[in-house]
Amino acid sequence: MKKYYLNFSALKLQLTKTALTSVFLGMFLVSAVSAEPPPLGHKMSPVKTTPVASSFTLPDIDGKLYSINDLRGKVIMLNFWASWCPPCVREMPSMERLYTKYKDKGFVVVAVNQWEDEDTVFEFIGRLDLEPTFSILLDRESRVSEQYSVKGLPTTYLINKEGKIQYRAMGGREFDHPEIKRLIEDMLKKNSASD
Amino acid sequence: MPNYVYIDYAKNEYKGEYMQKLILPLWTVTVLILMIFSLSYPAFATNKILVNTNPNNGVKTWSWEGNGLAIELLQVNPDFIRATYASRGLPKTVTEAVATRCVFGTIIRNISDNPLKYKVSDWRYITPDGTENKIKTKTEWVKEWRAMGVRFSWSILADDPTFEVGDWIQGFTTMAEPHGSDLDLKVVWKIEGKRYEKILPELQCAQAPID
Repeated sequence: MKKYYLNFSALKLQLTKTALTSVFLGMFLVSAVSAEPPPLGHKMSPVKTTPVASSFTLPDIDGKLYSINDLRGKVIMLNFWASWCPPCVREMPSMERLYTKYKDKGFVVVAVNQWEDEDTVFEFIGRLDLEPTFSILLDRESRVSEQYSVKGLPTTYLINKEGKIQYRAMGGREFDHPEIKRLIEDMLKKNSASD
Repeated sequence: MPNYVYIDYAKNEYKGEYMQKLILPLWTVTVLILMIFSLSYPAFATNKILVNTNPNNGVKTWSWEGNGLAIELLQVNPDFIRATYASRGLPKTVTEAVATRCVFGTIIRNISDNPLKYKVSDWRYITPDGTENKIKTKTEWVKEWRAMGVRFSWSILADDPTFEVGDWIQGFTTMAEPHGSDLDLKVVWKIEGKRYEKILPELQCAQAPID
């Protein structure tokens, strides 16, 4: 008959070692995770009152004047941002991917920069891995962000084809998340039906 | 074949072929439990304040989450404020008014399933002598800047926002205390009308730069 001999002390030692390793590994991961910036979410909250998006005209980075009224009939993602705002920078590539996907279906992205000049914005765009192809406007004195009661950067609104604010997000988002894509597809479809 | 286990404590040995079958799964389960516990440490520590020091620059952060709110505070060095404000073209009076204070970069997140509200005017910082002090709000800063002809309205933490589910924000919280001071911060917020508060103790303001 086969016999097995297990040394109890050695087993205890092994278990203690494993336990300590696990705890240290866990603590290491905890500290690593907590040093990370907050995750970008993917929720956009419905704006119950759906107010009409107030009109504005601002220059883009080439100095050309751009009016939001000219976009009536399109689904607009209106984003308020600045280059010194880390979540604004983090969400920008996903905004570009979203724009690329839906731009031919009546979707536009308008990114309104706060307080910065053309040179700063140009320099910032040059540093991005994925250069934005959507419109970037300059709100040098933050008058438009005040019109829209923007409390913090980034803040993003989704405006429907009737020019009404339908969704809002405060803080960075992963805009090409399926949940947000679904919202946009619904807005594109819904308004198309009433056209 | 015996179907029992013989344990000889005096020799500190286990004998019997069933022990192998018993001990190995036990060992595996123990290790798994310990790993799950250690990896999900934050879930067990909802009331714990995590303090970290960046080994590269010595900057300390404090983070806590509970009752639907997550907050992270980060020491802000006065030179960082000077550089940030100067690069935005802000006048020295504006820059120095903020840079000479104790400033924490503050990130607030709504981690509940309902709208969350807070007002910085309800928050207090508590100095070591026990005095509760108000925090200068964004509205007060912006009013002061406007009086100087400056329309800048960013960088300071929004003072009375409503966060929908998943919303978050970041900005400076400024306390009228010297650099290097110790203080506690009382944070107050509401979810569905219910008031919550949390004291984050033993925060340390960033040190003044060495001339």
